[in-house]
Amino acid sequence: MSPISDPKPSVPPTEASIPTESKNALWHEQVLLWWQPFARDYGMLFVLLGLGALFSILTHTEQHPTGADAGQQVARSILQEQGTAAQVLIVARQTAEDLEFTTTLSSRLDVEGAKVLRVINGDPAATRLAIQELIASNQLPSALAVNDVSSRWGVFGQFEETRNLPAYKPQPYYWPNFLKRTNLLGVANQTAVYAIIAVGMTLVILTAGIDLSVGSLVALSAVISAVYLRDFQGGAAAGIVAVLIGIALALLTCMIVGAFNGIMVTIFGLPPFIVTLGVMLMASGLAFRLAGGASIPELPSSFFWLGGASTYGIPNPVLLMALLYGIAYVVMSRTVYGRYLYAIGSNHEAARLSGVPVVPCVISVYVISGCLAGLGGLILSSNLQAGDPKFGLMYELEVIASVVVGGTSLLGGRGKVLGTLIGAFIIAVIKNGMNLTNIDPFNQKIVLGAVLLTAVGIDTLKRNRPQAFRRAMVT
Amino acid sequence: MHFARWIMVAAFVAFFGCGGTPPATKSTVTKSGEGGTIGYSALMLTNPFFQEISANMREASTAAGYEFLEVSADSDVKKQADQIDDFIVRGVSAIIINPADSQSIGPAIQKANAAGIPVFTNDIAYAGQVGHVISHIATDNLQGGRLAGEAMVELIGEAGGKVAVLHFPQVESCQLRVKGFLEVIEAHNGSGQGGRIEVATTLDGGGARDKGHDAARDAIQSHPDLAAIFAINDPSALGAFAALEAAGKRDQVKLIGFDGQAIGKQAIRDGKIYCDPIQFPDQIGQRTIEVVLQYFRGEEVPKQILIPTKLYRQSDALADPDLNSAAAESNSVQPDVK
Repeated sequence: MSPISDPKPSVPPTEASIPTESKNALWHEQVLLWWQPFARDYGMLFVLLGLGALFSILTHTEQHPTGADAGQQVARSILQEQGTAAQVLIVARQTAEDLEFTTTLSSRLDVEGAKVLRVINGDPAATRLAIQELIASNQLPSALAVNDVSSRWGVFGQFEETRNLPAYKPQPYYWPNFLKRTNLLGVANQTAVYAIIAVGMTLVILTAGIDLSVGSLVALSAVISAVYLRDFQGGAAAGIVAVLIGIALALLTCMIVGAFNGIMVTIFGLPPFIVTLGVMLMASGLAFRLAGGASIPELPSSFFWLGGASTYGIPNPVLLMALLYGIAYVVMSRTVYGRYLYAIGSNHEAARLSGVPVVPCVISVYVISGCLAGLGGLILSSNLQAGDPKFGLMYELEVIASVVVGGTSLLGGRGKVLGTLIGAFIIAVIKNGMNLTNIDPFNQKIVLGAVLLTAVGIDTLKRNRPQAFRRAMVT
Repeated sequence: MHFARWIMVAAFVAFFGCGGTPPATKSTVTKSGEGGTIGYSALMLTNPFFQEISANMREASTAAGYEFLEVSADSDVKKQADQIDDFIVRGVSAIIINPADSQSIGPAIQKANAAGIPVFTNDIAYAGQVGHVISHIATDNLQGGRLAGEAMVELIGEAGGKVAVLHFPQVESCQLRVKGFLEVIEAHNGSGQGGRIEVATTLDGGGARDKGHDAARDAIQSHPDLAAIFAINDPSALGAFAALEAAGKRDQVKLIGFDGQAIGKQAIRDGKIYCDPIQFPDQIGQRTIEVVLQYFRGEEVPKQILIPTKLYRQSDALADPDLNSAAAESNSVQPDVK
């Protein structure tokens, strides 16, 4: 039973059976075995992490707290310095966090016996009114309690009585803007639409095709669902069933368009570039026609759940993206269908001769691509609360860029779905980081173009001339 | 792993920063809100019109002690919504946009509202219901259209004749321009003075040189006796001029444009366009920042500020120091001004 008696090297010994030294060596080898393909397929992950680090450093700035803790802090300072004689004017905005700030602050001051003259949760105009009233009734404050935002309002400088008052505000702290929770979720949310469409595009490109129609399908799907809901279901009054029918209608249309692409490519043998270019123009024209050239905001609020709401604090598009990538990963690495697609992309003719059902497989990837583009359009119109034929402009290029940066070869047969996700995030992080670090919009385009070329350049070099690449990296 | 260590340091600082141990900072409030940031998402910064608005806003906000950030939405609503997200993360004091779509930018405005950041628009108005815009600053396009109409009456009112309009109906500002223009023409026809001005055709000039060219070519094909053309902006007017020149009708058909971009002014100087009601992007930019400052001072802010246009003729162009005088000197049509 025990494999010790069996020295055949081809059969890997079980862990319990080998001596410690050789087990360590094997462990080392196993890591390498796992590491090398990982580094080859997902090398771009390190680029993404590097970018994250870079932008964390570059956006490391002063943060200004508000909320309950900040309220406590400010109250304590005022009490320490002015004691119960303090006459405090509290000013902040009307946001949820600012309301917490002012309520905590005023109740603390109240409890400790200081006088709160007025609590303002509003805009500078409301503040001006309040100050005027206080001056009129001769209640002059001895201290202003503000946060960073309200401290910058010019309204205090307008009155002799408030101009030189001590203003207490929360102590700032340092943290990268890039690493803020809202920003990271925002980046994921901004990418979700591109990343979801990119799943379909990855499949198409793996079969050595291309789908230029996705951008227009985004617009078409957004417009079809919006027009249906507006014209047949009473717009904002439409019920949940109508919303589901609208969604189904939009997805179905996009799948039919995708099937058309696939049939033209396979059965009629037209080049994918030309077929999808033509469909791109037709779908865009149709979207503009249906919408009459204008955006359609008459949508029910239940339609906004898909793209606008969050579940457990994570935006729904991000969850949907994660789910789709999970499915796509399993399909591409664990199923026969996935194998077929790689085979078709590597060598179309060989795959056919080996009995791979090439035609249905290729049609199916265009259907999937169309369907996901339609889903992207629904997410977008749900998020922006209107269906608009101007949606999706140039998305095809954005999505192809994600796929290519993610390491999928445009020649087909090579690439990973999860690589595309990384590629989409690299592009999103660069865009977000450049916005946060104040890079001129024209330079942003130059940088994005350069990133695309670098990614493809490195990838090509790595695959085609590994020796030359390694030498170039060493020297 | 420098980065990991660095993050730990940052986390450490942040932890104690918000731990409440240090006292609040105390200072007197700044006089005019110094040190804040104003974020501007332009419709497209490739257009000189928005470049000028942006440059003037930058100047005015820097003078008031604000940092000014500009980004370009390139006419993409999603991109603009993402940019507004980024502004919110940066914690800007105010956001100014030219909505890439007058409806679907709403949720992004709403997000800024929820974060307590006031939103202003210029040039293009937000027409939706969700989200609140403090103030809108734009050209008075209706008045501009009327000025163009008056210029047309002055030009061919005596004799009357056929007029073509090169429209760009998708854009609201252009609808207003044409509306103002038609009002004046109808008033003229109703007054019974001079000859009747007939709007023979209204074509989509796309607001662009190529489409304007094609539309004008078609107009003179179907109406060979055309007396004048009103184009809703300079590029389509110049496209129309090219079509007139090619058809040999440069002297017969007069042109009135709109905008007063540098190319348009030069064309007026060269006698290619009769006149333009011109917009003042510099004033739009300056007034926008003025309104933002007013808002922060707690003063009452008008919901809408319309900046009137002014008629710009060849005599104005000849006296305009901004125009390229070298180009004018080389042009033999120009009188010798010295």
